[in-house]
Amino acid sequence: VASKRVQERRAQHQQYKRDVEERGKPFFPYAMFHDTIMSAVVVGVIIALACIWKWTVPGDHTSTQPGWLGPLYTDKADPGTTNFVPRPDWYFYFLFYLLRIFKWPDSVILGTIGIPTICLMLLLALPFVDLRRERRLLRRPVAVIAAALVVLSMGVLTYKGAVAKESLGSENLAAVPKWAAREGFASNQTAVAGAKIFAQVGCLTCHTYLGAGSSNLGAPDLSAEGTRKSVDQLQQYIADPSKFGNNVMPKFGSLGPTLLHQLATFLSSSKGAKK
Amino acid sequence: MAARAKSVRRKQIEAAVNYPLDWLEERSGLVGGVKYFLFRKVPGDTNWFHTLGSATLTAFLVQAVTGVILAMYYKPDPKTAYQSIQHISNDITLGWLVRGMHRWGASVFVILMFMHMARVFLFGAYKYPRELNWIIGVLLLALGMFEGFTGYLLPWDNTAYWATVVGININGTVPFLGPFIASILRGGAEIGPDTLSRWYSLHMLAIPGALFALIGLHLYLVIRLGVSSPPWSKEAAGSGPIEPEAPAGGRSGLVQPGTRGVVGRPDSG
Repeated sequence: VASKRVQERRAQHQQYKRDVEERGKPFFPYAMFHDTIMSAVVVGVIIALACIWKWTVPGDHTSTQPGWLGPLYTDKADPGTTNFVPRPDWYFYFLFYLLRIFKWPDSVILGTIGIPTICLMLLLALPFVDLRRERRLLRRPVAVIAAALVVLSMGVLTYKGAVAKESLGSENLAAVPKWAAREGFASNQTAVAGAKIFAQVGCLTCHTYLGAGSSNLGAPDLSAEGTRKSVDQLQQYIADPSKFGNNVMPKFGSLGPTLLHQLATFLSSSKGAKK
Repeated sequence: MAARAKSVRRKQIEAAVNYPLDWLEERSGLVGGVKYFLFRKVPGDTNWFHTLGSATLTAFLVQAVTGVILAMYYKPDPKTAYQSIQHISNDITLGWLVRGMHRWGASVFVILMFMHMARVFLFGAYKYPRELNWIIGVLLLALGMFEGFTGYLLPWDNTAYWATVVGININGTVPFLGPFIASILRGGAEIGPDTLSRWYSLHMLAIPGALFALIGLHLYLVIRLGVSSPPWSKEAAGSGPIEPEAPAGGRSGLVQPGTRGVVGRPDSG
């Protein structure tokens, strides 16, 4: 036996069906007219974007220079490059920026998997949580406020992701003497060589060091990493972080033992800024 | 005399047009189906907000058509992918337009999915009996975003490569399954030829197939359950206001909640 609530909503839907049948208008041509115009606008906007993308690229419109909507393509994929800052397509910026808020290893899972999964679960559960028949906005304050907060937070995260500043390998390289002076390893040639590698192989894409670099994927600041690990530990860790349970950081084993040793020496000499 | 000849000719033309339609209808019922789709009733106060769904479908169809054309020229191999993208953009007639439409159509598609979802949410159109269609919509949103993610690698430039490295590493943070998922996405220990062909297959076969199937189901449910009227509608379904003092015994519809007790107004459709 269906409950009173189930009977009521069934009756309401039957009534709606009867009302639409008696007093509604046919889909064609009324609703279809609006749909057709809207679809034409959508196709027009897409074509316009394609044209702006191509024809605002400087020169003969074939270079890797950015136009108003960014470059047509960047240089061919180079797994060894260090002067490139990874960025997803703009509609993932909110996720991308969310990852800066959480730090490895304690809470990074919240940012990468936790919050997106929870949001998806909430969306799937929505029709089973909100069982009221009320649809008028003024009488659904929780729903309206929740929608406003979601739009606001996604907007802010997307904006922050779009304007997030990243530093390039070349800029970081110029900062090496300053780091050596502040951390006090200027006399250690191996550490200085390691610092130059550190500045160029992409570490600062996710890590920060004395204010340089950008914090991504929850990677920690490394300004005082030498207080936590020895040279040997660091060398093994950098070569293959997955052996230590870190599946986020890429492997740097391809650098070879000499460069890895220099890099590890630099990090172990980094015990926090002295001045 | 002339009039009668014309009407005979008209009958002949009508018979010629109707014959294949009748033939098709008798064997498939498709003509009746299309007629039902076109002439089904929708609430009289459907408005521009209700066009977001079909606009999203249009953006998807643009992706499908431009995607098929791109697939004719694109080479899913790290050695040639980048050159094939340059070839499409710079050499093939209107190739730049097709690629540009596909690249920006993806953004428009994602924006429209979110706007359509916001409309359905604010209109309360996910409520009984449309819960299942809301769930299909959420799955479409997730699959649509995944389609964008897999498509981003294909140009095989630095932007594509490094965004994908980060994206795969993000999946690597999943507890327990992370390394496994990351390995599946890479098709090996490193991003390479197998990664690219794997993502190409996902991007142009698996995910679009699932999207097509779910969109079909989504539309079927829209037609079966009907379009909900706006929540501010004075009457949930009708095409115009009905006099508040309808004659006793006349149709009171949804405009007079008092006469039907629990059957309320704008919350019923």
